[in-house]
Amino acid sequence: MKRFLDAQLLGPLAAMGLVTLVVALSTDRFLDPGNLSNLALQVSIVSLVAIGATIVIFAGGIDLSSGSMVALLTMVLATLVKTAGLPLWPTLLGVLVLGTLLGALNGVLTAFLRIPSFIVTLAGLIAYRGLALMFNAGSPIFSLDPNLEPIFYGSFLGIPLPFYYVVLFYGAATVMMINTRLGREIYAVGGNPAAAKLSGINVRRVQTWAFCIAGFMTAVGAILMSARLNSGSPNYGQTLELQAIAAAVVGGASLAGGRGNILSTLVGALTIVIVQNGLNLNAAPSAVQNVILGLIILVAVGVDMWRSEIARSIGGLLRGRMSKAEEVRRGT
Amino acid sequence: MTQSSDEPLWDVVEVSKAYPGVQANDRVSIRLMAGRIHGLLGENGCGKSTLIRLLSGVDRPDSGEIRLSGKAVTLDSPTGARALGVATVFQEFSIVPSLTVAENVFLGRWPRRAFGLIDWDTMRRRSREVLAELDIALDPDAITSTLSVAQQQLIEIAKAVAADSRLIILDEPTTALGLEEIAQLHTLLRRMRAKGHAILYVSHRLDEVTALVDEVTIMRGGRVVSAAGNTAVQVDAIVSAMIGGDVKDHYPKERNSRPELVLEVKGISSEAGVDDVSFSLHRGEVLGLGGVLGSGRTEIARALFGLDPLTAGQIRIDGRPVRIRTPADAIRAGLALVTENRKTDGLFFNFDGRANISSASLPRFSTFGFLNLRGEVAETTALARQLELSRGAEDKSVLHLSGGNQQKVVIARWLLSNARVLILDEPTQGIDIGAKLAVYRLINRLTAAGCAVMLISSDHEELLAMSDRIAVVQHGRVTDIRAPKDLTHADLVRAATTKDTPEGRTAA
Repeated sequence: MKRFLDAQLLGPLAAMGLVTLVVALSTDRFLDPGNLSNLALQVSIVSLVAIGATIVIFAGGIDLSSGSMVALLTMVLATLVKTAGLPLWPTLLGVLVLGTLLGALNGVLTAFLRIPSFIVTLAGLIAYRGLALMFNAGSPIFSLDPNLEPIFYGSFLGIPLPFYYVVLFYGAATVMMINTRLGREIYAVGGNPAAAKLSGINVRRVQTWAFCIAGFMTAVGAILMSARLNSGSPNYGQTLELQAIAAAVVGGASLAGGRGNILSTLVGALTIVIVQNGLNLNAAPSAVQNVILGLIILVAVGVDMWRSEIARSIGGLLRGRMSKAEEVRRGT
Repeated sequence: MTQSSDEPLWDVVEVSKAYPGVQANDRVSIRLMAGRIHGLLGENGCGKSTLIRLLSGVDRPDSGEIRLSGKAVTLDSPTGARALGVATVFQEFSIVPSLTVAENVFLGRWPRRAFGLIDWDTMRRRSREVLAELDIALDPDAITSTLSVAQQQLIEIAKAVAADSRLIILDEPTTALGLEEIAQLHTLLRRMRAKGHAILYVSHRLDEVTALVDEVTIMRGGRVVSAAGNTAVQVDAIVSAMIGGDVKDHYPKERNSRPELVLEVKGISSEAGVDDVSFSLHRGEVLGLGGVLGSGRTEIARALFGLDPLTAGQIRIDGRPVRIRTPADAIRAGLALVTENRKTDGLFFNFDGRANISSASLPRFSTFGFLNLRGEVAETTALARQLELSRGAEDKSVLHLSGGNQQKVVIARWLLSNARVLILDEPTQGIDIGAKLAVYRLINRLTAAGCAVMLISSDHEELLAMSDRIAVVQHGRVTDIRAPKDLTHADLVRAATTKDTPEGRTAA
């Protein structure tokens, strides 16, 4: 099992290395410590939301609602703290609960009412953004609470806090996927729901749990987003869901479900953010960035689809070379 | 038709074909006569499929010659082979479910009008003619996906006839068919034989092969080990030629039935058509369920396993009544179900062998939601050794295992879950004789350990040989339970085709 996972990490890591090399060669500002720490902060939110996106993909679904849900949750947080004057910490807890419940709603609609998750979460993508606009007449709310910003900008032992969040949540997610019954059941349900049912696995409950986790991670992302800008806005999190899915796919999660390694998603998120960072440093307009993000997703999914063919042709090349070497040795 | 009877229509002369690492066909010769049904037999991996691929133009031979009516021809593509009159019905159908019967019969060769428009009238008329000629009662305008598997198979054959194919190759055509449907298919094939078609027929089910074919060619390890005419068309002779020795223990049945009752089923009914079914199962006993496809055998299994809700009746295990509403309940109660389709609802192709084996035992391996991975490795490895799973199968994706090993993985899953009653639905379908023997031995081992087995099989020989008692199922009811010695193959066939048995129902 371990070797299996390492092999799965290798491809995405190589891709990330290549991208890093190209970006570092294109501009000397990339390796600037200021830029690197900015990059780390930038990757934290995407990579945390991507944990949920990936787990839903493992379970055989897809979550398109996270970006809009982030906007809605930041507006809920801002309204409760600023307008209603509720204390910060209980409100944050409430936001986490709300995110989890919205995830549970996605899960119930998908698993129990059998509406495809693509449609359920597409509806969420549209509706949550609309709901977010209903708060404060559609305007952002600023300067929420002095204690909010340190959640994102604080540091411990000289290392920014988001780094710890990433380590903590990716560690927990890895343990969950490999060492817990729920993790194994998520892979089983994503791999073959019929066989999972016959193995006594409660398929619907497992699917619902996957969406709950995604909702929770989205809420974590929303809190960090609010903390980063000390505000709530109905415009936050645009295309975040796509970046999260892209991170999963670039990391090698199979969109067919049941296959993939959660740590690879972190590598995928880093790859995407490094590319964006490189384009920013080279002053590429945001339109170009969108085109490139689209291309990356296309290539990553293509690699996923053609994986076996690619492996076979590489294998064939190696074999061909070896037999040629043998011929040379034999002197034919 | 104009062919003289001793000149072959297709003559394959010493063809060889190698794939990387394996000599799949080694100087294989076979002569296919017009107006004859030729059986091609052998265990999985013997080279049958390769030969079919060569004849269908999917692959080209490395050496040797293929002659059509005495003239050497090159089959360089499936289209080329079709043009020369070869139609192949592969195990995976090549029909489009969303199209009508007529559209499928003329798939890819739709009659056209001016401007490339499809000539619907001609297509309907001609498919009606073809269907009538074959005596197939199908509406040309029916959407294919609404038809049964058996009817879809008939469309494949109609397609071959519509294309004017003189050679029809059928690869395992009856795997998904019930007895009546097999009989219908055989009637059709005999009629085509009479019209002068040559038919090459591949099947694992020897009883049906012997009933149908005129001659057999048997392959082993990429070679023809018995050419047509050398082996009598008779099961025992064929089996020994196939596996290269005498098979005394073709069915290595051991009797392990003990007096204690494990499972008692009283008057269960389900919405899926199970109707007031009662039977009981003793420790170490094999209870066979006989009957045709669609008679309700699979539905009885589904009802027991919590897949179809019960509408009436009671289930007791070890004398205690149990409520089974989900597969999880059934597994907890000690039941296990190995379904008919291990590919679609048995195996997790995203998992290695180990995770496949442990999938029904996750509650046992977890404490507070955490899996005991070390325990899982230890127990699955021990089980894999015991079942003689191919080496390293635990760590390989099950995608790369042979059919027999895949079946072992699925059965291992239920050994690990400590099942007391194992329901096997067509456990030997589509696997070769060697792997079948392994399954039979596994049944013996299970029953010796006190496990009770409910065996559903359409292979009557197997059912009669491996069961301690046989329950005959018809229209969702158990019409008769008897010892196999009091039943014959003919009884089972009769039970499958007649409305009722005069004996009525005898309680277990």
